[in-house]
Amino acid sequence: MNNGPNNKPHDKHLLIAVDKSEEAKRAVLYVADFIGGFPGFRVTLMSIVQAPEADFFENEKERAEWLERERQDIRHNLETYREILVQSGFPEEKVDIRMCRNDRKSLSDAILSFQCDMSCCTVVVGRQHKSKAEEFLFGSVSSQLIHGAKNCAVWVVE
Amino acid sequence: MADENNTFTQDELLSMVRQWVPEERVPRRIRVKDTSDFFRVDYDDVVVLEGIPYLVRNNEREGRFGIPDAQKFWVKRAIDLITGKVKILKWSFREQFRSRIGDMVFECVRSPQKEARILEIVRGRPDFMQGESVKDSADNDLRIVDYIRGKTIEEVTLSSGKGHEDFFFNHYPSLLSDFMASIRAIRFLHENAEKHGDIRRDHLIRDKTTGTYRWIDFDYNYRHGASRFGYDLFGLGNTLIFITGRGDVTTHSLFIDKPGIFDKLAEEDLNIVFNNRVANLKKVYPYVPDFLNRILMHFSIGAQVYYEDTRELLEDLGEALERLRGK
Repeated sequence: MNNGPNNKPHDKHLLIAVDKSEEAKRAVLYVADFIGGFPGFRVTLMSIVQAPEADFFENEKERAEWLERERQDIRHNLETYREILVQSGFPEEKVDIRMCRNDRKSLSDAILSFQCDMSCCTVVVGRQHKSKAEEFLFGSVSSQLIHGAKNCAVWVVE
Repeated sequence: MADENNTFTQDELLSMVRQWVPEERVPRRIRVKDTSDFFRVDYDDVVVLEGIPYLVRNNEREGRFGIPDAQKFWVKRAIDLITGKVKILKWSFREQFRSRIGDMVFECVRSPQKEARILEIVRGRPDFMQGESVKDSADNDLRIVDYIRGKTIEEVTLSSGKGHEDFFFNHYPSLLSDFMASIRAIRFLHENAEKHGDIRRDHLIRDKTTGTYRWIDFDYNYRHGASRFGYDLFGLGNTLIFITGRGDVTTHSLFIDKPGIFDKLAEEDLNIVFNNRVANLKKVYPYVPDFLNRILMHFSIGAQVYYEDTRELLEDLGEALERLRGK
């Protein structure tokens, strides 16, 4: 197989989309267990900062404070997950963390747009267990990813 | 801030009131009230907003699910004393709360800013209530909304036809066509990144003057998850099932009145959220065609796929309407 001018194989690039949920943690642990320590993989851990609409805050200052707290929580979370992956055997330089702000797109569209920009071959998410009614009313990121993904695999971790 | 309350004398106000109110209803003395606190504004008071005096009438009321109408103290009917037109004054009343449907709990907010924003977006459109937002004396948003004379889509549905079959064949196609126009209005909101937030059959009024349905009351917002407009679509689905069934067909009413049909119902036939309402209307009214019933079933427990946006729903309904009309 020709892998470019230097004949160096490209790493398979996984994107793990996480939030603060237990399900997201399970997705990270799954990747750590499954491919931690194997060569040829790199991982980007990403979280999306999505503030509730302005109507949910008394004023812009309150919203900005909420966002700042959320950013700090998310950063801490991403650092923890990065540490888990490194301890499972991923080289440090092959685990990136990214935090994206998104207010307009749906979460799944934001994840897929990031996946496309970063040319990740696989998206990994945890599956939140929702009732049918809940999924109907408020949607499911994992279902939307499965239906909306193009040119990539989606791993939904139970 | 200028004291707008002193713009008119007692005599001027009384004379204006006499133009629009029968003599026996004209108060002996007019109390001009400050606009900052809706609890202190009562029947027969006058409030002055942007230089226009309004004679306040009753608080508006809203009832649901058979619960007696609750007064909305921050929403008052009023007469514009310059033009005589009836207006609805909606004071700023922001509340954040957790709403519950079945087992689901989600964050909601009543936001005057949201409604003011949408009033701007829909200005001039015949399918939404019209109005403007002004500042009260405490600098809060107060909305002045045109009063819409007419029946809700619920009242129109229930008063059309003699029984379901007559309704379905003689009135439903035209009602569905009107409702599709109202769905297109919601699509316009969604395209502008706004939700209605409280889509209900009593929030859609057929304007007696224009014959067009208008959406009202869009100050609610809900904290959406992965699906931004899912809750709005749920409201549209409920209304669609309501108009198709010429009212809610409940398991209780079937159990009492049509036990044979009740026995044939399966869990999958019920509304995905309100499990006491039947979505599979073909089982109740066999002449409801499959192509229409399939759309209703997207809102049932048995649904495997859901509508993600109004475009998909409108496409399916458009096709169904054509077939209903025999085209």
